[in-house]
Amino acid sequence: MTTDLVIGMAGAGGDGVIAAGEALMTAAARSGYRAMMTKSYGPQIRGGESSFHLRIATGEIFNAGTMLDIAVALNWDDFLRFGAELPVGGRTTVVHDGAEGAALPLEGVSPADAVAAPIAEMARTSAGTEKAKNTVVLGLLAGWLGLSADSLLAGVRKRFARKSPEVLAGNERAFAAGLAFAQAHPLRTDRRLCETAPPPSPRWLVDGNEMCAAAALVAGCEFFGGYPITPSSEIMHFLGREIWRHGGTVLQAEDEIAGIGAVIGASFAGRKAMTATSGPGMSLKSEMLGLATIAEVPLVCVNVQRGGPSTGLPTKSEQSDLFQAAFSAHGDAVRPVLAPISVADTCRITIEAFNIAEQFQTPVILLSDADIAQRKEVIDPIDPRAFTIVDRRLPNERELEHYARFQITESGVSPISYPGLEGGNFLASGIEHNERGAPTASGEVHAQMNEKRIRKLAPLKARRDLFSIEGDRDAPIGLVSWGSVAGVASEATAVARREGIQMKLLVPRLLYPISEEVYEDFFASVRAGLVIEQSHQGQLFRIIRMFVDVPRGLESLARSGSNPITVHDVLDRVRQMVVAFQRQRVPQEEPTLG
Amino acid sequence: MAYTPQDYKSELKPIWCPGCGDYGVVQAIYRALATIGRPPHEIAFVSGIGCSSRIPGYTTAYGFNSVHGRALPIAQGIKIARPELLVLVAGGDGDGFSIGGGHVAHAIRRNVDLTYIVMDNQVYGLTKGQLSPTSPRGFRTVSSPEGSLEDPVNPLMYVLGYGGRFVAQGTPADLSGLTQLVVEGLRYPGFAFINVQSPCVTYGSPDAQLKAHKSSMKNLASLGHDEGNRLRAMELAAEYGRSLYTGIFYRDPEPPPAYEALVAERRRALTDPGASRERVLEKFALR
Ligand SMILES: Cc1ncc(C[n+]2csc(CCOP(=O)(O)OP(=O)(O)O)c2C)c(N)n1
Ligand code: SF4
Ligand SMILES: [Mg+2]
Repeated sequence: MTTDLVIGMAGAGGDGVIAAGEALMTAAARSGYRAMMTKSYGPQIRGGESSFHLRIATGEIFNAGTMLDIAVALNWDDFLRFGAELPVGGRTTVVHDGAEGAALPLEGVSPADAVAAPIAEMARTSAGTEKAKNTVVLGLLAGWLGLSADSLLAGVRKRFARKSPEVLAGNERAFAAGLAFAQAHPLRTDRRLCETAPPPSPRWLVDGNEMCAAAALVAGCEFFGGYPITPSSEIMHFLGREIWRHGGTVLQAEDEIAGIGAVIGASFAGRKAMTATSGPGMSLKSEMLGLATIAEVPLVCVNVQRGGPSTGLPTKSEQSDLFQAAFSAHGDAVRPVLAPISVADTCRITIEAFNIAEQFQTPVILLSDADIAQRKEVIDPIDPRAFTIVDRRLPNERELEHYARFQITESGVSPISYPGLEGGNFLASGIEHNERGAPTASGEVHAQMNEKRIRKLAPLKARRDLFSIEGDRDAPIGLVSWGSVAGVASEATAVARREGIQMKLLVPRLLYPISEEVYEDFFASVRAGLVIEQSHQGQLFRIIRMFVDVPRGLESLARSGSNPITVHDVLDRVRQMVVAFQRQRVPQEEPTLG
Repeated sequence: MAYTPQDYKSELKPIWCPGCGDYGVVQAIYRALATIGRPPHEIAFVSGIGCSSRIPGYTTAYGFNSVHGRALPIAQGIKIARPELLVLVAGGDGDGFSIGGGHVAHAIRRNVDLTYIVMDNQVYGLTKGQLSPTSPRGFRTVSSPEGSLEDPVNPLMYVLGYGGRFVAQGTPADLSGLTQLVVEGLRYPGFAFINVQSPCVTYGSPDAQLKAHKSSMKNLASLGHDEGNRLRAMELAAEYGRSLYTGIFYRDPEPPPAYEALVAERRRALTDPGASRERVLEKFALR
């Protein structure tokens, strides 16, 4: 029996691979398991091969896992196209359709075992069509994994409820055939999931983009303007369905510039507003983000990071837009950059993004990434009442008497009016302006205004709740990681500590401005460590070093997107650090001159 | 309460060159606003960047002097967010038909109720005299010392061609005519476009100054033009650069509902009074 299992499956377009993955995940979630699923598609626009990678466990899951425990290949050609997404190793059980022969076309790998199951034949004889292959696989996995057959079958029935009774009956027989095959050909017992208690209340099944959109509504978002781009479009799709019910509006603009332009307009008009984009779209938004900074217009700009530069790898995750988020504005612009680490975390961090935008009257960049945005997770219910919702500070009657929109206050935050409010009219501008909004070229005013706009963000750096630290407080080894990769670092930390290695992990949700104090405190005990992230340059590693004196042994563990960083990779580097420590402790013998 | 033009004049002193056509345009705007009579705090005035785009600063209203070429998207966001506001947009020929040209087509087809005033001086004033998208072929500037090799954009045809439903042209040489056009534009319930031949005394062509306008301008109404005739409007608009017609080229006699009215209708239909933002997340629960 096992507490943690990774299953991958691939097939041709029309094989219903993704539907099978979703059915498995739903059944697992209902029985009380945690799960995380990523999907991958071939390059065809529609109808090509597809695959899922699904991790199911009895306890909490921090990342999607890598190496498969069970690999299901409906046919080898399609399976092998997903080499990077569906890694097969020496511990993998390979399930394939016997019709293609017994030989496994897996170069250089000898899997733990292989089962040739006549999947297509079972589908044909039981349902009269190969379309039922995915249902056969559900039967197989129900039998092998010990997942509730009732629950899976209920899912199958729901899916085919609107089809003809024959189709439904055929799929029921296909499921039964798979189940019977599995019972007749049991797998090794460690492929069977330990039982788990059903959750006290139903768990949630959601992906990162949906969560971001829903959380925006919780935060009070009333306007969304954007332009379609992978992998962020689902945020607009979700809001296009939902925001109207709450009295809001979605605008699909003519380009990303107009999208954020309309958001600036709506926010200037007093509404909480958001835009979302990726890659090239983010580049187009740069100038407007600068305008929002100088005109002090609150807004949230979501960047679901993908591989770049330019079109890059549109469907693959990367964390290579941190430099851009922090530094793409011309002029002395500082704007908060936040990043969630998981689907559940996306809820809190999106609400924080709105709160920070409104409180400090600034654009906030929310750096999600394709991994978080596109993966589905089973999560515990979130109580929205746990969040405070912050609104912008309107001018009071006294302030409206001689209203100065950009008044230099102690906090740097000035009262903000909105069109329609009598006495609150002012000129917002991208040109430098004085406290009353009048354009100016005065060096003195410019310096004061820069100082004010940057000073107002200072309280953010003291927000320790925008950082999490796990592990041993005074550990000599310290990891730092962010975004979707933080889940890998988190699991590696837990494994290393079980091995007796003293270490800790810092995960910032506030990426910029850099909180010197938080990093300095964390690094105080650290002699060696890693900053772990998915980019070629190691962008967080470099930004931290711009602002913080880091321990000499701090290194970067970074690689380009679509080259997953695994728990294994982290552990390897950590173990090397431990060995290096031990060597340093052994007094070296003086070389003798002979 | 009645408003006077003075009520819309802000404390800021214009930095325009003496004699710049934009002085006349801002006067026409003050007068038109007084005629409409909306209180200044219910007006939003958005512009891009350029000499002409300084104009919201000189007007008492909620102003937004934004970035080059992007006034229209911002203005649409404002109007959609608060349809009760009166929203004006203004800028230069470069702002509207070069860098921001892509937004014009979409503002037209979206038909948000905005009044868009372009101060067309056929040159880049603020950046000191380069070619503009409306400069005539052969026009010599610092960036085209040997003369331009391109045909100009015809703003009137551009807007009519994309289906514009209110298209007019004026000049500060006829201030009362221009004022009336702004009033009509503001009253038109949808996207209204007014091209103003607003001379640049410093970098503009000598043939495009107020004095020349005075002698060459021809009023469309006095020519008996039927402003409900789109095809005839296009014929007249094609004369841009050759004849200076002033007045309304085209006004849709049966304006469809503006975008923000449709948005409001959809909102009314879809807003669920029982919907609670707190409960949005519950959608994700497995049932
Ligand atoms: C993105 C960007 N590019 C270039 C400029 C420089 N620029 C400012 S105004 C302007 C053109 C002004 O011409 P026009 O729009 O016709 O206005 P005018 O000054 O003639 O009224 C240019 C090129 C800028 N501000 N922003
Ligand atoms: S440069 Fe031309 S457009 Fe600009 S203020 Fe002077 S006259 Fe007017
Ligand atoms: Mg110009």
